[in-house]
Amino acid sequence: MSAPFVIAVPAKGRLQANAEAFFARAGLELVKPRGARDYRGTIADLPGIEVAYLSAAEIVDLLAQGAVHLGITGEDLVREKIPDADRRVVLVEGLGFGHANVAVAVPQAWIDVHSMADLDDVAIAFRLKHERKMRLATKYVNLTREFFSQHGVTDYRIVESSGATEAAPAAGTAELIVDITTTGATLAANGLKVIDDGVILRSQANLVAARAAKWGAAERAAARAMLDRIAAQARAQTFREVRTRFPRCDDALLAEAKRRFGVETPFGGPTSSGMLTLHCPPKHVHELAILLREKGAETVVVADLGYVFSSADPLYAKLEAGLGLSK
Amino acid sequence: MTSARVIPTSIAPEARADALIAAFERAGYARVTPAILQPAEPFLDLSGEDIRKRMYLTSDPQGRELCLRPDLTIPVSCDYLASPAAGKPRGFCYLGPVFRHRPDGGGEFLQAGIESFGRKDTAAADAEMLALGLDATAHYGLAAPEIRMGDVGLFSALVAALDLAPAWKRRLIKDFNHKTSLAQDLDRLTVGAANARPEYQGVLAALAGADPKGAHALVTDLLSIAGITAVGGRSVSEIADHFLEQAALGAQASLPRPTRALIEKFLAIAGDPAQASAELGAFAREARIALEPALDLFESRIRAFAARGVEVSRIRFSTAFGRGLDYYTGFVFELHDPRAHANGPLVAGGRYDELLTRLGSPRAISAVGFAVWIERLAALRGAP
Repeated sequence: MSAPFVIAVPAKGRLQANAEAFFARAGLELVKPRGARDYRGTIADLPGIEVAYLSAAEIVDLLAQGAVHLGITGEDLVREKIPDADRRVVLVEGLGFGHANVAVAVPQAWIDVHSMADLDDVAIAFRLKHERKMRLATKYVNLTREFFSQHGVTDYRIVESSGATEAAPAAGTAELIVDITTTGATLAANGLKVIDDGVILRSQANLVAARAAKWGAAERAAARAMLDRIAAQARAQTFREVRTRFPRCDDALLAEAKRRFGVETPFGGPTSSGMLTLHCPPKHVHELAILLREKGAETVVVADLGYVFSSADPLYAKLEAGLGLSK
Repeated sequence: MTSARVIPTSIAPEARADALIAAFERAGYARVTPAILQPAEPFLDLSGEDIRKRMYLTSDPQGRELCLRPDLTIPVSCDYLASPAAGKPRGFCYLGPVFRHRPDGGGEFLQAGIESFGRKDTAAADAEMLALGLDATAHYGLAAPEIRMGDVGLFSALVAALDLAPAWKRRLIKDFNHKTSLAQDLDRLTVGAANARPEYQGVLAALAGADPKGAHALVTDLLSIAGITAVGGRSVSEIADHFLEQAALGAQASLPRPTRALIEKFLAIAGDPAQASAELGAFAREARIALEPALDLFESRIRAFAARGVEVSRIRFSTAFGRGLDYYTGFVFELHDPRAHANGPLVAGGRYDELLTRLGSPRAISAVGFAVWIERLAALRGAP
């Protein structure tokens, strides 16, 4: 038997809950055959895929080495921990959870600092006055260095922080910080503010593929089976199915529905008996129903969709293109 | 004189490097061998965080950051400062491995070099460094390398003499030190954008004409009314000062046109040092700018080159040549293979009179020196 196809999933916290919910929506149930404390699992009904429960940091390391095929982790960690990340991994898709900005924050009292240019000037003046450089606390050493280098800021020193970075200025161990922030509330509580052009990265959880992993026929088939269901479910979520029988339907009406509501026609125009199936974004369903009836439809039926499988297979196509695999 | 004693090319590179270091010792420089494992702090502090990605870093059980030395100037300087000789005139030479991540080639390579501390005869010491650097390339069979030279002190003198806000002066010096060519950046150069914030314009304009003491008190009070306490290493008074400086800067968010023209004219001066010296004199007279101490030193240095037998007309001087390391304070030079086989300088060095203060010396100690890339020199032999 060949080595299994492995997808790494966060082992704890909100990311784990979100990741499980994400798979569950696609009808993929993560199961731990040997009990909840097990760090290896499978996906029900999808044989040949192993789920590895790991810390977010481990997931990034293993993706960089190619020891797992796919992983769910934050883009912030990928960019921070993997030098030249795009040559080692492919960010296949943002997953819509785990949003966080990596940003430069300074004390609110610094009314003279609103931009990176202000910060540059203050940093130079600080070194000349204090004969040392400003200290910046962060766990994002590489992201910080790159960003500051792009802005030409050189008069600072990084103090690595592993705990509560936002408390460092108040504790007197640093003048400013680079950290993740979602609402800015934690920063404000610590007397800090984000610099206007100081957002380094808008991060979210991503489905990430390892370039160095083995991508043979078996691995591709496993990835395809899983991604097909995820993509089909994602598409199903963004549409409602609208059906009606409508003999007088014409191209002009379809064009209007497409233009006004973003409607799609998965099976083309009406059948010979006038049966019409449309996919419509949820927020426009009622307006569409009104339009159809104005134009002569008697009954309009709207239903939720479970999956929309398409031959295009968009998510797997993205993976294939990203990894440079030929079809 | 020091020139062109070309060593027979049959000697192996290592033996050749040993012979070079022996020559440095004969010239009066004591050989030192600093530790390979060094505290990382001084390198990061002096060269900036950007050097971090090129360093081999590790840590000791107490969590202190250590590195394999990425150069020898800082270790030699630290050892000298820690010794009883600190502050006295001393000269050292070294030969040993340094360690840097490089995209091409290995991370370990040989450097030789000289550090000279505490000499008061600045021009003669500068000239001696260039002469010894030329000896080093001659040692490897290259008697006439291309000599590039600059003088950071001239640019500092120009900026000091200009009628500009302090923020502008800091910015110009910093950019000069960090970029190989400042000229094309003058366009894009701007200082702090806070004064461009519309909601601040009124307050800033009102403060601009105010008596500084009263304005300072107002800003301090405003911060405390807002319930904002200063955290971190900057005091409220420091913040108020800088805020008022921004106010004074007003609409001067880009460099005034006449000043820019003046800087560009200055940075265009290049070529033969003797001719450049005359041009600099004319420039200073015309612009009514006092460049004296720096220009005098420049001229006496040229005389010192001649006294050491260096052919001054072979030197390619440029006012814009800045080395991109922010601890150089005066003379800077590089020796290159005229056929450009080597990827980078063969020898590079200059004066860094503030280095020892920044490494913790309580008083200023003059310092000048250079480093030699042994592998690059050795590779010249095989080149056609």
